[in-house]
Amino acid sequence: MKNKILMFWFIVLVVIVSTALIFVKPTKLGLDLVGGSRLLLEAETTDTIAKITPDVMNRLQFAIEQRVNKLGVAETVVQQVGEKRLLIEIPNVTDLKEAKAFIGETAQLEFKREGKAADGTPIWESTGLTGRDLAKSTLSTDATGQWVVSLDFNAEGAKKFADLTKELVGQQMAIFFDGELQSAPRVNEAIYGGKAQISGGESGFAYDEAERMVNLLNAGALPVPAKIVEENTVGPTLGADSVAKSKKAGMIGLSAVMLFMILYYRVPGVIADIALIIYSLILFALFKTIPVTLTLAGIAGFILSIGMAVDANILIFERTKEELRAGRNLFTAINSGFDRAFTSIFDSNMTTIITCTILYLLGTSVVKGFALTLAIGVAVSMFSAITVTKNFMHLIFGTGELKHPELFGLKKDEIGQSYEAVETKREKARFGILD
Amino acid sequence: MINTGRKHLVHVVKYRWIWMILTSILLIPGIIAMIYSAVTYPNHSPLKVGIDYTGGTILQYGLEQKLENSDVTKTREALESVGVENPYIQILNVNTSQQENTKSNINSIISIRTKFIAENSEESDKITEELQKTYTNPELISVSSVGPTMGKELFKNSLIALALAFLGIIAYLSFRFRFDYALAAILGIFHDVVFVVGVFSILGLEIDGLFITAILTVIGFSVHDTIVVFDRIRENLRYYSKKMSFGEIVDASVNQTLTRSINTSLTTLITLLALYFWGGVTTRDFVLAMILGIAIGTYSSIFFCSMLIDFWNDKGKQPVSA
Repeated sequence: MKNKILMFWFIVLVVIVSTALIFVKPTKLGLDLVGGSRLLLEAETTDTIAKITPDVMNRLQFAIEQRVNKLGVAETVVQQVGEKRLLIEIPNVTDLKEAKAFIGETAQLEFKREGKAADGTPIWESTGLTGRDLAKSTLSTDATGQWVVSLDFNAEGAKKFADLTKELVGQQMAIFFDGELQSAPRVNEAIYGGKAQISGGESGFAYDEAERMVNLLNAGALPVPAKIVEENTVGPTLGADSVAKSKKAGMIGLSAVMLFMILYYRVPGVIADIALIIYSLILFALFKTIPVTLTLAGIAGFILSIGMAVDANILIFERTKEELRAGRNLFTAINSGFDRAFTSIFDSNMTTIITCTILYLLGTSVVKGFALTLAIGVAVSMFSAITVTKNFMHLIFGTGELKHPELFGLKKDEIGQSYEAVETKREKARFGILD
Repeated sequence: MINTGRKHLVHVVKYRWIWMILTSILLIPGIIAMIYSAVTYPNHSPLKVGIDYTGGTILQYGLEQKLENSDVTKTREALESVGVENPYIQILNVNTSQQENTKSNINSIISIRTKFIAENSEESDKITEELQKTYTNPELISVSSVGPTMGKELFKNSLIALALAFLGIIAYLSFRFRFDYALAAILGIFHDVVFVVGVFSILGLEIDGLFITAILTVIGFSVHDTIVVFDRIRENLRYYSKKMSFGEIVDASVNQTLTRSINTSLTTLITLLALYFWGGVTTRDFVLAMILGIAIGTYSSIFFCSMLIDFWNDKGKQPVSA
């Protein structure tokens, strides 16, 4: 009895800690609930970079992070997935089209000179001077009030630029941005001092265009081009709608299950309901502490795990009722009910955890969320549905004979009518059966 | 004799043939639908496959007005006229009673599926423009896009996940029970999966990443159910194998676990039905797959799997030991 009271206070403690954690910690909601964008980028090889190495990926990640940060949105995520992919999450993005174009742009700045192809047609040849030689870029206007992009070269870049312009006096020098010709001014004299300007050619730059180029140049070019292979965007309206609906559905589902348990199992049903509430508290506290990002699929996993938590109690109560029908006293019936149901509960939960593990390892991020919440749910239910319920059952019913079978939803004449429970000596000792 | 305190409600062993026929009735329409689809669909797949596996883009717009089925054709023709290739249009009407607690004034969702729209493409602008002409204030509420190579990879991964889940379950059950129990459980799962996939094929619903998740959950649940029955058979075999035939033990065990099997499925179905009717429109098919799977999983664990192990073990009605 002393152990049981200790256990009771331990459960109370767990509940208090969980409740406190729920109030203190914020809930992390997934992009499908708050609205936002999830992009999967895949790095592509180029002529110069034939293999995507971890180093290339790190540089790509860094460059993309710089750009994502420029969007000015909090809680963005940029992480590597597999060997050549980057996962980007941007919550609350307002202009997705713009953001996508901004992130995916290779931003390769190149200076080219006139040359001739093998068959004699004129082409632009690389000079070796690129965006990598830049120190920084700023937005400014030229004498006529047109928007221009000013470039400051670093020491090496300044030297290259000076040499190049010296060589090209009287010729055209072309500036390419992402393979697109921006302008091709004629070089009048060698330029020292490491400064240059890009004007938008004959039509000039619009403000937005110039500003975007400046931002991209400052964030740095991507080492390799990256294209979007998967996208998931959810508007904030749909997200809020899903949260509201999931809450409502969860509440209705939970209440209906609790009502069913009370109607069918009576007092043990009430205990199972309390255990279910404790279960939800612990689970939410864990979700917030770990933290687990709650997605729509995650919520579905949680709701399903309620079903499994209740299942454990149903199994136990059915066994306990059988034992009571066989005329056992309360203490023995409760103990053997729990003990006999345990192997079923354990085995079935293990198979659920096996499938969850596989889903978590192989699934997409949506599936991962589902598997994680379900697995945590199943693990917690082993505590709530077994330890908590058993403790409460013993504390409430004590050790006497069953005097009020209606408390278990049993009829008086059912008692002693049922199957003969057969136990080995060892089991009898364990359940506390005295012959 | 095991006295379960009441008359046996179900007779798994005695009416074996009835359960075999019922199983066939449940499965055959779905199988026919799958074969029919495999022959008639242009891509020869037994089911409609979503963009997760084929690659493609889905744009969803929320609308304030209610839509009629005729809007599907109207919108498709409008989109085709501006050069959108083979758009697949779906309309989801949002139940107004669900709107009470939400601030949104979206009454219907129109979902447009096209081939993969690459970044910087004008295609999505064209669609938005076209919808703005036909409807008042369409709000782009979600975009999902999967590149064609990505789709193949996701499909491969899903199949690997399914295969591994099967193997994991066989291994665990062989270790905890016996191989023939594991085999019966796996055939039970197979039975359930064929049923759910068959119903989806009949209804013409699309399968996507979430559907595979639903299937895996159903697998977990179905095994869960089967284990409870098998666990009881194992327990009863320990005490009664000398006094009763295998078939009698199976029958008694199924009846002892019957209330539990039904009550558990019932509570889970209650939560799922709540999700189906009050939850978001976007997860509706996912929930439907689970509802179907859990219902059939209960049937298969009570009748189909127990019948199988009895069928294999029924050698001249002699007492057997496990």
